[in-house]
Amino acid sequence: MSGRFISGASGYLPLLRLDRAAAAKALRFSGLGGRGAGTRAVAGWDEDALTLAVEASRALVSESAPAKFIFASTSAPFFERSQATLAIEALALPVATRSNDVAGSRRCAVAALLDAVQGSGDTVIAAGEKRPARAGSAQHFRFGDGGVAVRVGDVGAARFIGSASLSRDLVDTYASREHPTPYVYEERFVREVSARDVIAPTIRAACADAGIDPSAITHAAVHEPLPNLWRDIAKLSGVTAPNYATDLEAKAGDLGAAHALYAFALALDAAKAGDIILLASFGSGCDALLFEATGDTPGSSVASAMLATGIVTTDYVRFLSLTGEIALDWGVRSEFEQKAQGTVLERHGRNTIGFIGGRDSAGNVQFPKSRMPVRPGATGPEPMADIRLADVAANLVSVTADRLNYTPDPPFWFGLVQFDGGARVLMELTDADPKGFSVGDPLAMRLRIKGIDRKRGFRTYFWKAAPHVRPSLEN
Amino acid sequence: MATGIKDRVAVIGMGCTQFGERWDKGADDLMVEAFEEAIADAGIDRSQIEAAWMGNALDDISVGNSALPLAHALRLQTIPVSRVENMCATGTEALRAATYAVASGAVDFALALGVEKLKDTGYGGLPLKTKGLANDLWMPYGSAPGTFAQLAGAYTARHGVDAADLKRAMGHVSWKSHQNGALNPKAHLRNPVDMEKILSAPMIADPLGLFDCCGVSDGAACAIVTTPEIAKSLGRANPVTVKAIQLSASNGWEMQYGEWDGASVRNTQVASRRAYAEAGIDPRADLSMTEVHDCFSITELVTMEDLGLSNEGRALFDVLDGDYDANGRIPCQIDGGLKCFGHPVGASGLRMAYEVYIQLEGRAGSRQRQNMDFGLTHNLGGSPFNSVAAVSILGRLN
Repeated sequence: MSGRFISGASGYLPLLRLDRAAAAKALRFSGLGGRGAGTRAVAGWDEDALTLAVEASRALVSESAPAKFIFASTSAPFFERSQATLAIEALALPVATRSNDVAGSRRCAVAALLDAVQGSGDTVIAAGEKRPARAGSAQHFRFGDGGVAVRVGDVGAARFIGSASLSRDLVDTYASREHPTPYVYEERFVREVSARDVIAPTIRAACADAGIDPSAITHAAVHEPLPNLWRDIAKLSGVTAPNYATDLEAKAGDLGAAHALYAFALALDAAKAGDIILLASFGSGCDALLFEATGDTPGSSVASAMLATGIVTTDYVRFLSLTGEIALDWGVRSEFEQKAQGTVLERHGRNTIGFIGGRDSAGNVQFPKSRMPVRPGATGPEPMADIRLADVAANLVSVTADRLNYTPDPPFWFGLVQFDGGARVLMELTDADPKGFSVGDPLAMRLRIKGIDRKRGFRTYFWKAAPHVRPSLEN
Repeated sequence: MATGIKDRVAVIGMGCTQFGERWDKGADDLMVEAFEEAIADAGIDRSQIEAAWMGNALDDISVGNSALPLAHALRLQTIPVSRVENMCATGTEALRAATYAVASGAVDFALALGVEKLKDTGYGGLPLKTKGLANDLWMPYGSAPGTFAQLAGAYTARHGVDAADLKRAMGHVSWKSHQNGALNPKAHLRNPVDMEKILSAPMIADPLGLFDCCGVSDGAACAIVTTPEIAKSLGRANPVTVKAIQLSASNGWEMQYGEWDGASVRNTQVASRRAYAEAGIDPRADLSMTEVHDCFSITELVTMEDLGLSNEGRALFDVLDGDYDANGRIPCQIDGGLKCFGHPVGASGLRMAYEVYIQLEGRAGSRQRQNMDFGLTHNLGGSPFNSVAAVSILGRLN
């Protein structure tokens, strides 16, 4: 079967989920707090749009490298420094991999996917969002943090069968350099106009392009501009399928540029061969795409599993701190600067963000690489073969919860990590579950922010060790 | 064939300031205070000092770089002065340099002085958060208690002991040092503390509570060394001599190579065995006392095994049995140790030597030990997984 296909789809959500109702109690005095139902995913202090997108991408590039990698976000940490390139280095993809960053609206990821399915080549579109919002706003509770990645190629598990696009500057919300958090316009206006004039017509046009009736759609992944709009969109477009984006918003929050694609990954995970899947995004217009499932989509079960695991918090103040909406005075311990130098990044940056160690002539693996191997008995400098450690099994040799050291989300867990195959690395630990870490625990590596230089607006990335298995949200 | 420095260098003068929060004193004042005690003890003219080494660990937040602050404070005239720094092992490093200078025959009189003025830094003397530009890209910035706390979990895992039992033994380590420190007029902390308070203290880095951790202090300590022959000519018939000074430093093996289980400090084991060989002693039979690097209670406990004073896996029980208490088998931290005497980082190694020296001289007052033969200092810099261990042994010439 010729055509363009989805060859993989995966997602990543941060560990923490804020219980909106519990958190809203803290705002009861004000009458603010939004819907107060469900949960939203909350990124750790050391996560951002890039790390979330990279984590989502890992399952899709473990077997082979794509020709092109596209990063999509409206909350990218850098304006001038390609997140796509950083992702390529974090995933240790070949330097010849093409890279591009897209932004401009929460529609950008689906727009990039449309380009990919209408174009050629093996492409990964990875979206990540950690969008700022003001405490007390509906968006602060409604938004969620997360990442998603979709791979497109000439073979795969879902065939592209049609699309339609509509460009329209319907300003339901905006964010700008002068106003980085969302400014939101009249909700009833947005509900009426977005569904009637933008989303539904585009879905109908996509169905016409694919030569199907909207009622033939079995799974929908449609990004609603506001909660509870799917019923109107479905009625206006003639679609009768359930919308995975609605459930996603309730459980993880509105993931911005990653939202429609994450819902798409959930739909792909549920789809059987022959099912028709609708993917539609919204933001300064709409792109709607239709696919016919042809088999199981690699990676899509990860997206579903992420939604079912995590830790619920009701701690509103911690949420405020993690989202930057309260500036706690961490005292003199936090008074330090970490200035990364471009020259040092050039020498060590790729091996750091890619977690590339070296294998010496005797087979021992170490991180970081060095001219003289750490192996006892080594008698001189040796060449070292690159070994990526990010995906290697590991366990804890020693560990503590450090309550003296500064971290934005105490305690500061760190310890010696032993990788299968020889490497040993002193590492920060992250995503601790309530029982904490113990010697011997199996670990999984996660890309995280290593240091933030707030004075200069710069950040560096490295890997941190997390529990190998996340707790189920049902427990 | 190297023969070592046993009995080739005599200690003829030592000084040590009051340790603590010396709000009224600067680093220069502290250096003068320690030196004046030492030079009076040595009975020589200050102009006879031919070379000096200044130990200062956290230069960038306290005293300033180079050894010029020492030359300025003491107005040392055109003699060679050098600064040495080896983290918390800095003080012993300074003593080693001065000792080697005399042993080599380069000079007759040398000065080693360690000083730290941390209470001007505004935040308890915690070091700046950098491990170097390349390491900063990946290496965690754990606190000192955070690094040493990891000994505890690894020790528990290696020996299969109950974590609560280990915590109790760690508590005894601190209890004992508070008991000892109460008898030391120069100690930073002179308050006995009961076990219940120690064990219920707030957690700093699991499982280290507040009383499992030493603080940092302002202070200075120094030594004046010469040859045994000159010492005798100055009227010291049986002077205190250096029996051994040995260092061992990590090369990345603990942190990067997959052999170490994290439950001991290899450099302490290596440096101490070299020191015993250099001094020609059997530690369990010959040591009268030890001053070890008790930056944290678990460090002291593990050090008892690393020094070979307790059998492997038995330090927990030996500590609880009182083997290292003031009246125990081999008293440890008779002066209160880092925990209570204090920890002005660059001075601590020399403070340890000071205590051994005055004990050998019989000048330790109410905490004086009887039948002193050999005393050991153990000065540990860095962390269990990246350390410099310095072990020295002092005794009488004959």
